Amino acid sequence: MRARRAQASPVTVLTPIVPGERDALESYLTGLSDAPGGSPLARVPGTHFARWVILPDLVTDPKQPAPDPLGSPHLLFTSNVDGSADDYLAAVADTLTAEAPEIWGRCVGCPRPATGAGLARYLRHNAIGTGLFFAAYPRATVQAVTAALDVHDRLVRLLVDTQPAGPAAIRAAFLKEFRP
Amino acid sequence: MTVSEPGTAVGTATGTGAGNIDGQAIAITVFSTVKWWGKHWLPLLFTTLRLIPPLTRDLRKLSFIHFARWTLIRELPANGDTAPRTRLRYPHLFFESNFNDGWEEYIDAFSYVLTRGMSLFWASSYGFPGALPTGPFKDYIHRNELEAAHYYSAYPEATATMVRKALALAPAVADFAERAVRLSPAEFEGAWSAFLTDAQDLL
Repeated sequence: MRARRAQASPVTVLTPIVPGERDALESYLTGLSDAPGGSPLARVPGTHFARWVILPDLVTDPKQPAPDPLGSPHLLFTSNVDGSADDYLAAVADTLTAEAPEIWGRCVGCPRPATGAGLARYLRHNAIGTGLFFAAYPRATVQAVTAALDVHDRLVRLLVDTQPAGPAAIRAAFLKEFRP
Repeated sequence: MTVSEPGTAVGTATGTGAGNIDGQAIAITVFSTVKWWGKHWLPLLFTTLRLIPPLTRDLRKLSFIHFARWTLIRELPANGDTAPRTRLRYPHLFFESNFNDGWEEYIDAFSYVLTRGMSLFWASSYGFPGALPTGPFKDYIHRNELEAAHYYSAYPEATATMVRKALALAPAVADFAERAVRLSPAEFEGAWSAFLTDAQDLL
């Protein structure tokens, strides 16, 4: 199955966790939110939204005839990215050089060291195609979104700051802020 | 015209675990086991919706969604002797969404706006109680949902509506700036007023 062609792409990678490593992996991932400098995913260009999820097992609904065990916990990584999934996974492998060994280094089959081209191949191997992808603004890159939000904020600030001012002062303030 | 300070939060991310929240953004991650006929039905549904985008019009009405996806997982890749290629006993439907505001409001809106669509996506999943009433459906989602160990948004304080408006506003501001450099202060006054009138819905 192929995802809808657009600027934005979905990335889904599902990897089995090495037996006995689940708790350490979960502890490391939950600690990333408090890491100095914020989420390491902020360093991977083109990341709109992303997540790591520990999948202990597949859901067994009371109404399904038999369980469908995964065999071992898996790590789910998903991201909503600019450009192609392959390029993005290469960027992940090249950028998260400190974090990837702590994350996918705890997964079955991951190359050692868990960085660079070897890691990118591993992630591509474990990537899962998307059936249907919805993007509210599919052609806007992360850079375009953040730049547009910045323009919005600067314009609103200018409006607040110049509310009592006359046209000459507003023009001067506007051109100071937005002169091409 | 009334304007608010930039960066002012419009809503508050609520109703889910802390791991699913980054600023205004909320992650939802749901797996469900699919009945035998879903392995044929869901790929057909996905293909139809990809080829005929107007059919996703109702989804676009849900203005608080940034990105969402549905994936049918039927097998897992091999990773050496300890994790051979696994053909799953059942197909599994993986759904994720990135949205803003509250979890409860999200499910409510999904159920009321996409009542028919929800059945198209989940009727082939074991245990799906129907989109309405929302109570049993919320219980179903809770049972099938996983909390993220780490969740990241590149613009955590922006709602999807804020992003869409900003993306429309930015080129309008750039166009006006091009014109403004050639306007006298007197000419600027009228042009500025017209610009703000046109842009007021984007602020």
